Amino acid sequence: MSAPSIAIVGAGPAGLFTAQALRRALPTAPITVIDRLPVPFGLLRYGVAPDHQGTKAIARQFERLFERENVRFCGGIEVGADLPLETLRRGHTIVVLAAGLQGDRPLAIPGDDLPGIIGSGRLTRWFNDHPDEAGFDPPIGRRVAIIGNGNVALDIARIFAKSEAEFAGSDLSPRTLARISAAGVEEIVVIGRGQADAARFDPALLKEFTRLGETHVKAEVAGSEASQSPVATALREIDGTGALPGNARRRLTFRFGLTPKHIRSADGALVLHLARTSGDGNEAAIATDTVITAIGFDAGRTGLPRTEWLQGDGTLAVRIAPGLYASGWFRRGPRGTIPDNRAEAREVADRIVADVSCGAVPAVSTDIQADLFARAVSYAGWTAIRDREIAEAPAGRVRIKCPTAAQMRAIAAGAPAP
Amino acid sequence: MKPLILYGTETGNAEMLAEDIASHLGDAQLLNMSDATVAALTAAGLLIVVCSTYGEGELPSGARALHAAVEAARPDLSNLRFAAFSLGDKATYPDTFARGGAIWAETLSALGARQLGEIATHDAAGADLAEEIALPWIDDIMAEA
Repeated sequence: MSAPSIAIVGAGPAGLFTAQALRRALPTAPITVIDRLPVPFGLLRYGVAPDHQGTKAIARQFERLFERENVRFCGGIEVGADLPLETLRRGHTIVVLAAGLQGDRPLAIPGDDLPGIIGSGRLTRWFNDHPDEAGFDPPIGRRVAIIGNGNVALDIARIFAKSEAEFAGSDLSPRTLARISAAGVEEIVVIGRGQADAARFDPALLKEFTRLGETHVKAEVAGSEASQSPVATALREIDGTGALPGNARRRLTFRFGLTPKHIRSADGALVLHLARTSGDGNEAAIATDTVITAIGFDAGRTGLPRTEWLQGDGTLAVRIAPGLYASGWFRRGPRGTIPDNRAEAREVADRIVADVSCGAVPAVSTDIQADLFARAVSYAGWTAIRDREIAEAPAGRVRIKCPTAAQMRAIAAGAPAP
Repeated sequence: MKPLILYGTETGNAEMLAEDIASHLGDAQLLNMSDATVAALTAAGLLIVVCSTYGEGELPSGARALHAAVEAARPDLSNLRFAAFSLGDKATYPDTFARGGAIWAETLSALGARQLGEIATHDAAGADLAEEIALPWIDDIMAEA
């Protein structure tokens, strides 16, 4: 068989693990990875927390794709906006959509759009210096309520709970840290609908909270005392840890079994009204300055018609149409971790290779490569940005991210930053 | 003796390092733990284990079935010599850092295999590249083997 030309939309873990698996199976196929941002790595760069640099080290695998394995990067081109999907498809045998999910799922309760309520995706992008949020000044007050029981909620709680010194070795920017410190957070509450043993926290990540130097940690595990589940056990273990109550600058409390009902503003703050999920009729009200929703993601802003392709189970088929495939969160919804995306990428690649082998792929009708590469930020452009970010890192930081797409493009073009 | 490089990986970092060690040695067999059997272990004379760590000091998911099978079969490994390289993340998991390779070393030693050298480690949150630690390490191991 002749080598098919492959375009992958999205240079995050899903897209790049798919590129890696396809490169192994199809050593001579031209593979191009396109991202709407001028820089690669998606959620690895802008979703994984700034103090989890070990997780971000997977980027080393992906750098090899571009440096040694002849995978090409086209940054700063949004498929569905700058480049019609149909044009991309006419120019490639195979197109894989791995664009992720950018939107924050709303609470869908009265008051969920009041000022002071922030989606976890947006907040996570902000503290990771995502260019989309360069102008965002999040309304963080002294009291922060985080709704959600997954690892995103843990990341956000930890970012607010750490002392300035505890960000050594991270890539949290001084500007972001100054904004967080200025908020003077004293109270963090993490709220779950289910009981402690139903929380989707990674138990290993809960252990990090025991080491907090400025924050006292409470976990209200009543109702799960007898549970031997790893997460309930870990929550019992972190209860009462961190800073001693008398020395703590703030308190972090995990609360369970509470369903948000409505939010209202009162005296310049917010009141979050909750009902016991057990349905015993009891209610709770939490006065807070900031509410962060960490209850999942949806497609958000995208120029791709994802909803048209949804199947009954809320996922997309691996093969959407002849020559058109999907991988990662874009395909299966906002569930699963980086290793899950790696495993799925291999399955998607297997399916593509099988379709190529039996000729079940369309013919390429136009050559769009030259136009694409002329418009894009190249991998060499990215390495110029990367090297600048490392060279200019302040003390105690591994890099300082370039904050805007315009500055990224200028550095990539070899021009002085505007 | 041609070594068997047996790797256990969750995100692919240990796989990449195992491939680097294999290219460096030139003459080596490379095998993913998820594709390996107990027989592959007993047939090997010289084994290089490259293994990551997941969760709270656990083996990566692709390594667990093989480890359980070895623990269940308890083969006599007195003819086996091995070395172990362990990957981890010291910043996020300081208490269980790089346990993956150590778990294998304990299991293999208990079955009579003889360990060459020290267990080498790589910290994903550190500044060093894994291959910069592993390639001099494997040269020392092969000199001893």
